[in-house]
Amino acid sequence: MANDHTNSTLQSVIDYDVERRKRFVDLRPEDVSRIAAIKDAVVRHADEHANAFFSYLSQFEEAAALFRNGDNLREARHLKHDHLLAMVSGDYGRAYVEQRAKLGALYSRTGVDVRVFLGAFHQLIHSIGQRVAEMFPKDAPAAFQHFASINKVGFMDIGIIVDVLIAERERTIRVQEKAILELSTPALQIRDRLLMLPIIGLLDSTRAKQLTDGLLHSIRANRARVVVMDITGVAAVDTKVANHLIQTVTAARLMGAQVIVTGLSSEVAQSLVALGVDLSKVNTVGDLQGGMEEAERVLGYKVVPAPEAVPQRTRL
Amino acid sequence: MPVPILKQGGILIASLQTAVTDQDLIQLQDDLSDRVGRFRSRGVVIDVSALDVMDSFATRTLRNLAEALKLRGAATVIAGIQPDVAFAMVELGLTLDGILTALDLEEGLDLLTATLREGDHSVG
Repeated sequence: MANDHTNSTLQSVIDYDVERRKRFVDLRPEDVSRIAAIKDAVVRHADEHANAFFSYLSQFEEAAALFRNGDNLREARHLKHDHLLAMVSGDYGRAYVEQRAKLGALYSRTGVDVRVFLGAFHQLIHSIGQRVAEMFPKDAPAAFQHFASINKVGFMDIGIIVDVLIAERERTIRVQEKAILELSTPALQIRDRLLMLPIIGLLDSTRAKQLTDGLLHSIRANRARVVVMDITGVAAVDTKVANHLIQTVTAARLMGAQVIVTGLSSEVAQSLVALGVDLSKVNTVGDLQGGMEEAERVLGYKVVPAPEAVPQRTRL
Repeated sequence: MPVPILKQGGILIASLQTAVTDQDLIQLQDDLSDRVGRFRSRGVVIDVSALDVMDSFATRTLRNLAEALKLRGAATVIAGIQPDVAFAMVELGLTLDGILTALDLEEGLDLLTATLREGDHSVG
């Protein structure tokens, strides 16, 4: 399942227009032909360039996870070797981006720090640059020009890797946001026809909507007649939050359920009054216990202590 | 198609269908008002569970209907508003304040019976 998500994030990076990526780094046909001229400097010394990258990377604990796992390292080395060959192949299409994105995903998985990656990538480019310079011993401007061309490819590569790292991180945030949303708004059935809705944390518009929607469906599913909504855990209640609560209460009422709001602290109560929020339509009770008692009264429950009850011993 | 009205003891049940038109609603208003008088009914349940949308016209008509029937001596319960409909209504500011609501027809009948019994006590 996690892999599916990863693949879909990668897909968005891969699907990004390759021509546009080339435009970003100003990679032109003349660059491609220059790269073809220095192909040998990269291909013949591919291992040397890759080593420059990995040995530099290995110094930093920010990339240690990559070296701890033999499989990951082998895969990274293999992909890096492929990459070096692809860098000078002259074909920078979708397959090229895909190959790069795969390597980016591996860095992301092993938690390679972006800054460390950039440093190591510079070492790789530097290593290539030295071999390119050797090809033009008497013509420094030509050496520089050829090097600049392959450097463009290098920058395009960095763009792809950074894309992957950002996309992965955003995905993580989205997954966590979703988890928080789902975790924090459960409607619990306490008794027949009685639901309890503990609200914890910050109530923004998105969450309030989701909460109301979830509550309405729970009312239907549990055939609830009374809902006790406890907002002890809501950090701050301002006009906006109060209006969300009123909306929730009103919507529940439309479905025939009565909502009792509990847990308004004295600060919250005072600030609501100061703000001039009209909560007269909302049935409020001081604390959760009071709310439950009120709900039981509405539903016709009567809780009495059983005199014959003997305290049970806990069995181990 | 006019809304069918069923009589169950002292209670009338009107069940709105999916394709109810504005004209049907106006017709229902007249029909119910008429029958409440004819059958001397004490309560009315309007079941809207088949509706997947309630616009401002429908809401206003139902509210007027409930208030008019009250003047004719019958309590009205709107039953079966769907979760998504309730949500949309609140977003549009349609709140049906002061009108009795219930989860479904069964709950509506229970609520109506309880309301009527309460009313009897207060008189007796």
